[in-house]
Amino acid sequence: MHKHRTRVVCTALLAVSLTALGLAGSAQAKLVGNYTKFAQCPFTNAEVKKCIYSTTESGEVVLGSKTVPIEKPVVLQGGYGKAVEGFAPFFAATNGITLAKAPQNVPGGLLGVVPESKQNWLIKKLIKFFFENSLTGLNSTLELAKPATEIKISENNLAIESGTALKLPVKIHLENPFLGSNCYVGSSTSPITWNLTTGATSPPAPNTSIKGAAGELEFLEEGRILETKGAKLVDNAWSAPAVTGCGGIIAFLVNPIVSSQLGTTTAGHNTAILKNTIFVGSAVAVKKNNEENP
Amino acid sequence: MRTKATAIGAALAALAVLCALFATSASASPAWRFNGEELKTTEVILGGAYESSMTVPGLTTSCENFLYELTIENSGGTGKGKLTEVPLFNCYTNSKACIVESINAEALPWSTHLATFSSKPFIVIEGVKVGIYYEGEECVLGETLVTVTGSAGGVIDNTAQTATFNSTTLSESGTSLKALSQKIEWKGVFPTEAFQSHREQAISAS
Repeated sequence: MHKHRTRVVCTALLAVSLTALGLAGSAQAKLVGNYTKFAQCPFTNAEVKKCIYSTTESGEVVLGSKTVPIEKPVVLQGGYGKAVEGFAPFFAATNGITLAKAPQNVPGGLLGVVPESKQNWLIKKLIKFFFENSLTGLNSTLELAKPATEIKISENNLAIESGTALKLPVKIHLENPFLGSNCYVGSSTSPITWNLTTGATSPPAPNTSIKGAAGELEFLEEGRILETKGAKLVDNAWSAPAVTGCGGIIAFLVNPIVSSQLGTTTAGHNTAILKNTIFVGSAVAVKKNNEENP
Repeated sequence: MRTKATAIGAALAALAVLCALFATSASASPAWRFNGEELKTTEVILGGAYESSMTVPGLTTSCENFLYELTIENSGGTGKGKLTEVPLFNCYTNSKACIVESINAEALPWSTHLATFSSKPFIVIEGVKVGIYYEGEECVLGETLVTVTGSAGGVIDNTAQTATFNSTTLSESGTSLKALSQKIEWKGVFPTEAFQSHREQAISAS
């Protein structure tokens, strides 16, 4: 009797397990082909009309007197909704990584922002220590300064090469053990706001107008996905706040040094040039592709 | 004496060459003709494209009915004209996802003139502006207005009495059409036929 009951319970548990596995299987639908890029698009949200996956493959960010070439790809992904007054609201990537962190090498390294000469003895000692331990490399990482909902996209401006195509609130993380983990240019309360355009900029002096480009379009999947190669988004009219948090407990000493090395970072002294390949897909088409491929 | 005759001969030859050159440059601006006679008044040409489509790589939009009304005249020996109406109907794409919700010629009239390129008569249309509104929930251009702008040159076949527009004719005439900041391909074959006082007369551009 007991043996029979045990067998029934085991069979029931097995059946429940198999059902659970079956359900799990159907929940793990997947995107295939050209749709795989949109894996982190919140396409199940009815407000999301388009999915976007944009890779900045090259370009540069000029902050005051420092130029950082973009050598490692930077991915911006998520979704966006219907445009309101020309700009579509952005929805964060489902994995939370809307703007992927890609540390870019800063030419000149640590000594480029904290030169050894002219420093007080403490800074000199510290720099010497980091120099001796080969810790003088400096990275600059672009991060979102505000929630993804603060990103705005204008498909129209992107296409017609005029006006702001992408509004991106960012902060720049300067990374080196000497600078600590909180050395930033820009913050959530005082972000750097890039108003990127594929058209021509109108910056204050000394910068002069530069021109972006909408790139070359190709429709994929019978018009369900649009691929844009060579989209050049530019802004050289932005201003950057002072650096904060550099040097940990001696930030009061290091921040002014880094700031002085960056030079003037008010509007007209900075530039962002982002060369991208952009994939945009219909959220409905992405969702359908996901459902069709269990 | 013989030298003088030779000099006069050479001068005449030079004059002949000059005349020929001027004749060539005159043909660079062809005029509208009916039954071989230069058009002295205005005339209205009506027609519809035998076929017409525009292509951005990966997406082609075609119209079954691409009609036009063109008023023509000759001014200073050159054929001119105005496209006053361009009704477009039954337009569709080669995509199951995208439908053409509406398509309209805008900023009419579009001015036209005749010109010669590669020794062939062309009609050049300037100020082209066509708005296309796509629909389809799976279409990446869904609820998007795409505007085609630019100028287009088409070769005139005086025998077939047609004007043909394609990438070759646009290139030969130095014209281009753009949509979404892209140079687009446009194909179209348009019959040319008068509908007023020169009805049923052979139309040509030369």
